[in-house]
Amino acid sequence: MSDDGRIALSLTLNGRALDVETPACATLLDLLRDRLGLTGVKKGCDMGACGACTVLMGGRRIKSCLALAAACDGGAITTIEGIGTLDDLHPLQAAFIRHDALQCGYCTPGQILSGIALLAETPKDLAAIREGMSGNLCRCGAYPNIVAAIAEVAGL
Amino acid sequence: MSPGPVTRWEAGLKVTGQAVFAAETPAPGLLYAVLVEAPVGCGTVLAVDAAQARRTPGFADLISYPEAQGLKPSSVTALIREPTIHFAGQPVALVVAENLAAAQAAARAVRVEAEARPAIAALGQALDQAYTPATAGRNPAESRRGDAARALAEAHLVVRRRYETAVNNHHPMEPHAVVCCWEGDRVTVHTSTQAVFGARAAIAHAFGLPAEDARVVSRFLGGGFGCKGQLWWPWMMQAMLAARRTGRPVRLELTRAQLFTLAGRRSETVQELAVGLDADGRLTAIDHQVLAQTSTHGEYADTTAGVSRWLYACPNVTTRHRLVRTNEPQPIPMRAPGTAPGTFALESALDEAAAALGIDPVDLRVRNHGDHDQEAGRPWSSKRLLECYRVGAERFGWAHRPAAGAAGDGRWRLGSGMASTFYAQHLQPSRARVRLAADASLVVQCGTQDMGNGAYTALGQMAAEALGVPMSRVTVELGDTLLPQGPISAGSQVTVSISPAVAMATAELRAILAQLAVADQASPLAGQRPEDLDFADGLVRSRTGNVAEPLADLLARQAPAGLEAEGSADLPQVQTHSFMSHGAVFVEVGVDPDLGEVRVRRVCAAFAAGRIVNPLLATSQYVGGLIGGIGMALHERTVTDLASGRILGDNFADYLIPVHADMPTFDIALVHEDDTHLPGGIKGVGMLGTAGVQAAIANAIFDAVGRRVRRLPIRIEDILGHPDPRDGFETLT
Amino acid sequence: MSGPAFSYARPADVAGALAQGARPGAAFLAGGTDLIQLWKAGLAAHAELVDISRLPLAGIDLADGELAIGALARLSDVALHPRVMAEHPLIAQAIAATASGQVRNMATVGGNLLQRTRCAYFRTQGMACNKREPGSGCGAAAGETRQAALFGASAACVATHASDLAVALTALRAELTILGPDGERRIALPDLYRLPGQTPQIDTTLAPGELIAAVQVRRAAGLAARSTYLKVRDRASFEFAVVSVAAALRLEDGAVVEARLAAGGVAPLPWRLAGAEAALIGRAPDARAFAEAAGLAVEGAQPLADNGFKVELLRRAVIRALETVGATA
Repeated sequence: MSDDGRIALSLTLNGRALDVETPACATLLDLLRDRLGLTGVKKGCDMGACGACTVLMGGRRIKSCLALAAACDGGAITTIEGIGTLDDLHPLQAAFIRHDALQCGYCTPGQILSGIALLAETPKDLAAIREGMSGNLCRCGAYPNIVAAIAEVAGL
Repeated sequence: MSPGPVTRWEAGLKVTGQAVFAAETPAPGLLYAVLVEAPVGCGTVLAVDAAQARRTPGFADLISYPEAQGLKPSSVTALIREPTIHFAGQPVALVVAENLAAAQAAARAVRVEAEARPAIAALGQALDQAYTPATAGRNPAESRRGDAARALAEAHLVVRRRYETAVNNHHPMEPHAVVCCWEGDRVTVHTSTQAVFGARAAIAHAFGLPAEDARVVSRFLGGGFGCKGQLWWPWMMQAMLAARRTGRPVRLELTRAQLFTLAGRRSETVQELAVGLDADGRLTAIDHQVLAQTSTHGEYADTTAGVSRWLYACPNVTTRHRLVRTNEPQPIPMRAPGTAPGTFALESALDEAAAALGIDPVDLRVRNHGDHDQEAGRPWSSKRLLECYRVGAERFGWAHRPAAGAAGDGRWRLGSGMASTFYAQHLQPSRARVRLAADASLVVQCGTQDMGNGAYTALGQMAAEALGVPMSRVTVELGDTLLPQGPISAGSQVTVSISPAVAMATAELRAILAQLAVADQASPLAGQRPEDLDFADGLVRSRTGNVAEPLADLLARQAPAGLEAEGSADLPQVQTHSFMSHGAVFVEVGVDPDLGEVRVRRVCAAFAAGRIVNPLLATSQYVGGLIGGIGMALHERTVTDLASGRILGDNFADYLIPVHADMPTFDIALVHEDDTHLPGGIKGVGMLGTAGVQAAIANAIFDAVGRRVRRLPIRIEDILGHPDPRDGFETLT
Repeated sequence: MSGPAFSYARPADVAGALAQGARPGAAFLAGGTDLIQLWKAGLAAHAELVDISRLPLAGIDLADGELAIGALARLSDVALHPRVMAEHPLIAQAIAATASGQVRNMATVGGNLLQRTRCAYFRTQGMACNKREPGSGCGAAAGETRQAALFGASAACVATHASDLAVALTALRAELTILGPDGERRIALPDLYRLPGQTPQIDTTLAPGELIAAVQVRRAAGLAARSTYLKVRDRASFEFAVVSVAAALRLEDGAVVEARLAAGGVAPLPWRLAGAEAALIGRAPDARAFAEAAGLAVEGAQPLADNGFKVELLRRAVIRALETVGATA
């Protein structure tokens, strides 16, 4: 820790090594969204209850609003910015578009990252996808189309 | 046109995280704002002591009542100009600092001295002060046709019940935010609002600016559902004051907890409903009395009893809305305002009537079909509700549904229920601009907003189809007061309201292009009659002859700088018809009769709402609306703690909204409706799904386990039958 | 509104953590899923967070009939551990019913057991709450009591404990290894918790600087075939229990020889249903035995204005859980 209470971190962020300093009290969400400008990471409730801030840490999905940035030192973090681009969409991103799995779009990055992590757990049916995605709230009501998109990529 | 369904225009930006929402607007030198809340729930602020706050590191400025006195008095600025505390959680100041943590620390250091007065923390504490407002929504608060009291006295069957619905909050996933920046006396405001022009007008009025000196931008809106309007503007303006005083851009984001207090709510309702029917199941009387809450600083009532005025044919109808002022947050329209709680009452009562009379619930509704608007004495512009019943019942398998309570699936007892839904169609004036570049790409501009409702796509599609340009060549620009003025995003009005403006602009472009083509000797269309030309598949072609040329070729020769046209549509002067969209919702629930759990398993709904511009997106809207209705039926309930006046459990762990695991399967039938009286034959779809489904669920629960629940949300204890003293006054004669 | 600033330390080993954690104002940070929420809600004000999440206390070992779970094991790692799933399915089921996939990837076993109540009066600033602000009163007892405890509450506090895992572990007679400045001790899981009495602000029997090192479950494999975690809730997922029941039976020759029952959502701590357990021993697993046990399970319940339904709900949930594990097909 430095004298002003800031903590030096080394992260692998979307595949690139990054050294950054953070206040001790900052969450990973604060660091990504405000300091590093990765605004695809959304702040919906800031209390771990909506899933809009979902990112992957070492391939596992977490809620970045409940993770202290300092505690993520050395971690490999993937945000929606590291998943795919307009010209090179991840299959789940493309499926989201085809299935109209979004409306306002605010929960969408978190849904996609959560879905990618869930796909790695190979859900066996639609019920498993619904249960596995229940940490990601959507208020517009895109749920059935989100599940359809994930199911398509899962080959269900 | 392109094969397959037209997908959401801006979807690529949203799935890659590139869509920029208000709080994410880059602004060098940004200051962060935090609101300081009142220490009491009712009273007067005596002093805001910022001495300690000013000493916290990173502090930049504080805005409270004295700093807001320069704003012009209005209903919007009252809460930031006048030190009266109306409700717990009301902000009394705004602090800005170099970063969010510093702003939070400074806000904690602000000492607020207030004089407390006794608060009215619940509607039930001031029933003797109930009053009838001038209006409920955009309608009169009271109505009377025929003589309902007499008809009820003479009816074969009377179902007289009390229905209650809880307070709901909108909770768009994106909390309200503003990033604002002054340059001299001009201001740019990036904010989450369903009305950029409305926000601009309020800003111009409050700050005494010419309207053109304020620019309001809302390109992407993370949901709204009615709450991103004027209740947010006072706090947005506090941030603007801070930005002006500090000379730096300021960002304010509401917290999730503040969405329970500062952004509006669906009022609770207590509805006393009596319906009278004859032996054939025809309605002879409806008496519908609604009690709801409003705040001490504003007034709003949903048209909750509108359902009794409009949905069915009935000669004798009396309705009345009354309000009670409490020291709670201000209600405003929320997703299917009025129709959601109203249909819950009437459509539940009709289910009881059907059972009492031994008539099928669908048949009972068919018998009471209203073939014209009895309240206004006008014909409907179109109404295919009967077809909705037929199609919905068929696709659901209504005729073959299991006998009540008979079916089981593991621990679940299955039940089926249905209800009607409707929403009144209104129009707004709108303008739109269409620009065709020399390469035949299109730019469509309108100062409306897309909050997830598909405005980008609908607008682009309408222009693209009119000019025969593929969607991949269309750019849509919304959410900016620099664009032609568009409608507010509310009441399912956007698509129908912008439609005539787009039609006018594209018609003008087609006329110009046709003239250019027929007069151009280099065109294969030379010498054709302009009125014979058609625009499709990127071509200008003759409907009569077999000639065509690519639009881009014509433009390159004749309009290398491109063409532009603007359309506008005002409201019709005379209303000859009543406009309403309709639907029929069929639901299958599973109820665990021992443990009281209810899960919706299957929803089949048929909706008739004019011409559907985009079936994919309209279906998404309907499903989304139905899910909102499921939340209202089974989960959502905002509770005020009577002792403190504060919202209890102001977070998503306590305020439950449906999650993925709660989802039934959905089958949505789009019943086509020709409507020659509305622009483009278009009606709104957004509100329709959120009403009706609550009653359908309650009716299905009765079908499954024989328990009538007349209070929303329906929870475990309601199924287990924990006695409710308020059930006492029921009568079924 | 977040709480006051804190400093952050990540000691390299257990000894260092114990030393730093014993300092005044220090708190241990593991998964953070509850502590960070508490801090953001202004309910936790620590001068220093001591990050123990990387200490080597995350192993999951099965040897000699004992399951030992490091307190820093993530919930998802425990629930998806093949041998936990096979030999201790009650634990896997309870975790699967907990929170969300994201939270299970972050939250640790020890942190889950130590999570503070979800009572909305505790979690919402401005409410009367003796647990948050001793002497301010219990807003819940006088207000909305739907969540409130049926057992073990006091006039000062009616809050319930929200952990699913703790209910399962209580049924399985789990023990905890506690490390502290004064060495190691081992306690039965329920002894971790205190009843509120007049001091509801103190949740546990841990001394300052102590931390949970491991959870041990002994000789429970015989119950694996007949165990279930039943969680009753309004929403199908991602919600705390209204009532939950962990149940496990071992049958021999058509009679119950071992019975384990505990309930959640009904008391300030995971609530062992010892009377109901005893009543089942030696009985055939039939409806009468289950009904009698369930009747004993709710004996002594003290409902308040809004939670009376939970008495009947608990009774029925015990029967349902017993039917599930007692089926003799």
